[in-house]
Amino acid sequence: MKEKLNALLHEGEEKILATQTEPELQEVKASLLGKQGSLTEIMKEMPKLDKSERPEIGRLVNELKRKFTALIDEQRENLILKASEISTDFDVTVSGIAPTGGALHPITQMCYDLNDAFRSMGFEIYEEEDITSELYAFDKLNFPQNHPARESMDTYWLGGHDTGATNEKLCLRPHLTGGSVRYMQTHKPPYRFVYPGRVYRNETTDARHERAFFQYEALIVDKNIDFASGKVMLKSVLSKVFGKDVPVRMRIGFFPFVEPGFEIDMGCLVCGGKGCSVCKNVGWIEIMPGGTPHPNVLRSAGLNPDEFTGFYVNIGLDRLVMMRYGVDDVRLFHSADLRFLQQFK
Amino acid sequence: MKLSLNWIKDYVALPEDMDLKQLAYDLTMSTVEVEDVKKLSENFENLIVGVIQEVLPHPNADKLRICKTDIGGEIKEIVCGGSNLQAGMKVAVACPGAVVRWHGEGEPVVIRNAKLRGVASFGMICASSEIGLADLFPANAETEITDLSAFDVPAGTPLADALDMNDVILEIDNKSMTNRPDLWGHYGIAREISALYNLPLKELPKFNASGLPEMQIVIEDSKRCARYIGAEIENLSVKPSPYQMQNRIWKVGMRPINALVDITNYVMLATGQPTHAFDADQISGNITVRHAKPQEELVLLNDKKLALTEDDLVIADSESAVALAGVMGGAKDSVLPSTNRVILEVANFEASGIRRTALRYENRTEASARYEKAIDAERCDQALSMAITLLKEIYPELEMKAFADNYPEKAVQNEIDVPVNWLEHRLGTKFSQEKLVNLLEKLGFVVSFQSDTMHVIVPTWRSTGDISIKDDIMEEVARMYGYENFNGEVITTSFDGAINQLDVDLERKIKEYLAFRCGMQEIFTYPWMTDEYVNAILQNTENMLVISTPPSPNERYIRSSLLPNIVKAVSENLRYYHEFSVFEGARVFFDENYTSKYDSSELLPEQRKHIGGAFVGDYKKVFDLFRQAKGVLENMARYTHMQALSFQQVQKPVWADETVWLNIFRDDVQVGEFALLSKKAALACGIKNNAVMLFEIDEELLKPFASRTNEFTHLPEYPMIDYDLSVLVDSSVKWEEIQKIIMSKKKQGSLLQSCAFVEEYKGKQVPDGKKSVTVRLVIGSLEKTLTSSEIESCAESVMKVLTKKINAELRSK
Repeated sequence: MKEKLNALLHEGEEKILATQTEPELQEVKASLLGKQGSLTEIMKEMPKLDKSERPEIGRLVNELKRKFTALIDEQRENLILKASEISTDFDVTVSGIAPTGGALHPITQMCYDLNDAFRSMGFEIYEEEDITSELYAFDKLNFPQNHPARESMDTYWLGGHDTGATNEKLCLRPHLTGGSVRYMQTHKPPYRFVYPGRVYRNETTDARHERAFFQYEALIVDKNIDFASGKVMLKSVLSKVFGKDVPVRMRIGFFPFVEPGFEIDMGCLVCGGKGCSVCKNVGWIEIMPGGTPHPNVLRSAGLNPDEFTGFYVNIGLDRLVMMRYGVDDVRLFHSADLRFLQQFK
Repeated sequence: MKLSLNWIKDYVALPEDMDLKQLAYDLTMSTVEVEDVKKLSENFENLIVGVIQEVLPHPNADKLRICKTDIGGEIKEIVCGGSNLQAGMKVAVACPGAVVRWHGEGEPVVIRNAKLRGVASFGMICASSEIGLADLFPANAETEITDLSAFDVPAGTPLADALDMNDVILEIDNKSMTNRPDLWGHYGIAREISALYNLPLKELPKFNASGLPEMQIVIEDSKRCARYIGAEIENLSVKPSPYQMQNRIWKVGMRPINALVDITNYVMLATGQPTHAFDADQISGNITVRHAKPQEELVLLNDKKLALTEDDLVIADSESAVALAGVMGGAKDSVLPSTNRVILEVANFEASGIRRTALRYENRTEASARYEKAIDAERCDQALSMAITLLKEIYPELEMKAFADNYPEKAVQNEIDVPVNWLEHRLGTKFSQEKLVNLLEKLGFVVSFQSDTMHVIVPTWRSTGDISIKDDIMEEVARMYGYENFNGEVITTSFDGAINQLDVDLERKIKEYLAFRCGMQEIFTYPWMTDEYVNAILQNTENMLVISTPPSPNERYIRSSLLPNIVKAVSENLRYYHEFSVFEGARVFFDENYTSKYDSSELLPEQRKHIGGAFVGDYKKVFDLFRQAKGVLENMARYTHMQALSFQQVQKPVWADETVWLNIFRDDVQVGEFALLSKKAALACGIKNNAVMLFEIDEELLKPFASRTNEFTHLPEYPMIDYDLSVLVDSSVKWEEIQKIIMSKKKQGSLLQSCAFVEEYKGKQVPDGKKSVTVRLVIGSLEKTLTSSEIESCAESVMKVLTKKINAELRSK
């Protein structure tokens, strides 16, 4: 009897530990402890035993029961920990389902990045209409009467509005700066605003030239702005937008509406300034003209140029985006080609 | 503009070990943008002068010869097809490794040792076009080899040395000096370099004309011609100019012609002052500078025949106009092969007049490009002196016959007072008086001080518009000091109010909603539209503005709606995609409602910000596409925090399908349209099997909320049950009606909370003329958990009213 119990103990332990699933374990449990289970069978032989042996065997049976129960509980815990209804063939290497794929235009993205940066420094965002008169496209900006940009080769004049005095001649704005004068005329100084918008030039197009492109103008007018302080501000904006320190240099440049004028170059991010095809091997990319608003421009806006001065830049958004992503054809921006646009999520 | 560094060195002594990169950098930072610095000799690597010793026939080819050529201590056999090969001739030999262009065309190729028709050839004997020298050594025939026998150099001399090509060419971006008439010649750039590096600048002498008989020159309009110098010179001839002059002219991009023409070009390239030489035999009587007469005609040097206007200034003799002043000489008076007497013109013309004339006849020239920048009249002296000196060098036998310097409008020198305090305040830097003098005097400014004011006399060459106010002086100080040397101050801000721009924010919210929530792609299109799409979509051009010089003849109209270009984008993208959605936000324009928004003197047309979009899908699933698109519009207000939009059929857009269209409203104001593009319009746009749902909204009519408007409601304490009912109704019954009937059962305290459309079905499972509509009711109580019989009875009451009002039958629940 003792031997039988011992054998059952070993056999039972093995069976329990061999189970892989909960139902299997239930089956083993029944086979050991159930009504027709092995232990029950052994118990049936109890009456045949000598009375003196019974307490000893009874103790052993109980102990066996306890051991089995404990082991089964333990095995169940183990099985639950490992439990899964998933086939082991489940392929975790398949790709996921992409969320519905919309995106903003890469120019809009850049514009919003700049808006965020400038707004964080207290700039307002200004916008204005695309059609303007020659008065604001040129006269108010100190463009000499016969500046080449006034002619049809550069500006899209509107049919039926292409002759007469400059306040009667209408065009698609060739740049944003006229709008800045309007802002100044309708607001009280000091000014601190940015002005994104699309501008139009009557040009032959190629990979670097477009008829419609985007500018982003920033203007500060105040009493105590010195000549180079804008550069400090601009450097911090570009560094925020590009997420790293961007070298910026300022050099002489001529634009009728500023004096002094400058060109601002940004260190080429493609080659890190070493020189590459994008920067024509000079390590710098010309991204924006700027300067101190010309006294005549401030006068057009009704300000005394001896009292007020400022800092103006006009960022070429297209070029900045081309730089950001290595886009090599500016015409793609107006192509509405989803194969291009969907690359910029 | 191209500049030769050797030429610049005539006027300023640059150190031999000048760092070219630094020079380009310094000029770029302070004066003009240097686009390229090129060592010219690099074009001539592995090219040498060879002397042909013997010309032998080629065994296998009639047209080829074998030239035994001395390449400097070594005789090599070179196979060549030249027609003018002779023993003793000096030729350009391209040794292995040299780069040439076959017959001057195509891509550059590298020369290697090769066999030509079975005979080994060392490199190649070159024609001028093959090594880029066609303009300097024009060939008479295509097969002609360049004869360099005139060059006194031994065999083996590098070609760059022999031809004086050890030079550096600076390429300047013309756009960076449109405001600087003084820089359009080598002398002007030399002056800047001398100032940048504190090097002495060589003075150009003045011509002394004393003792010469007076020429008669009449200037009729001194505003247009401030000065006219004429010099009549005899005993000349037409011959090539010395190689040295040809070489310089060629290096900076012009073509050598003959000595007389080359001298005028050389002087212009050196001083920036155009000059002209007339054939004196072709001039009858005196020279008059006058306006053209009505109907006067002139044939230019380039054979263009012009019908002049009275605004044009001409140089005329007693018979007719002989030259278009400052632009181009006439065919009649120009230097001819027979010319032996010339009248040399060195004149000053007013800039804008020259510009108008050059543009009027689309005849811009090197001369007109310089005049239109406004040259100072004093520069004539330098140009005259240089021209006469060169003429005397080349024609020692020449005779000066007569001379006149008619100078009615003396060049002015601007004088400007600059308060030093102001200058320092604006530049954020202190300057000593010595420093200011030092920075400015090198450029020709005369500087003096009266207490705290700097008095600046501007040189004539900067006084023609370039420098006229104190701010211009500030720029001069700043650029000579070096823009990079100013330490900018951090700009401080003041807390005078948070920026709150609801309109700006709303636009961004809408765009981000469409892109990020609705999965649409933002696109940009041009403001002009293609006629094809205008006709298909808008179907008339009333109130549209047009461009007077459009990008192309069928792109005249400026958009009054975003839809034509959006549909064009759809049509083009259908080549690659079948299901997609796009949107665009931009302004549209109307030739009406002109207002003076900003300036009372200016009338601007109506320009409104619109936002439009397209949803493209399978025509068979148009109902789903419609619902997708409508869902985007219905939920826009909720997500972007603006006043709600609603839909109504009031007036069908012309481009819309007969049935599937809605007008969009905010309160009572119609703000836009939403519809399926009609089959006819779609076909006209090349769209065949796809349904296109379009919308366009006037963004300016939308009303953003001042703040977020979500409201909190308590979570229900007892369960709310979704209960779906499918009912059979006439297929003409609209959901709006069903919804209204169901919601009529929702009253204070009723168990019905809300209802929603789930789907509709037409087809085999339902009788003709009927449709099955599945509605989801939300049933529940705020006070208790409902029993199933309470839920059922609520649903039944809904069913009952549907049956009563629209004869609905229950299909399933």
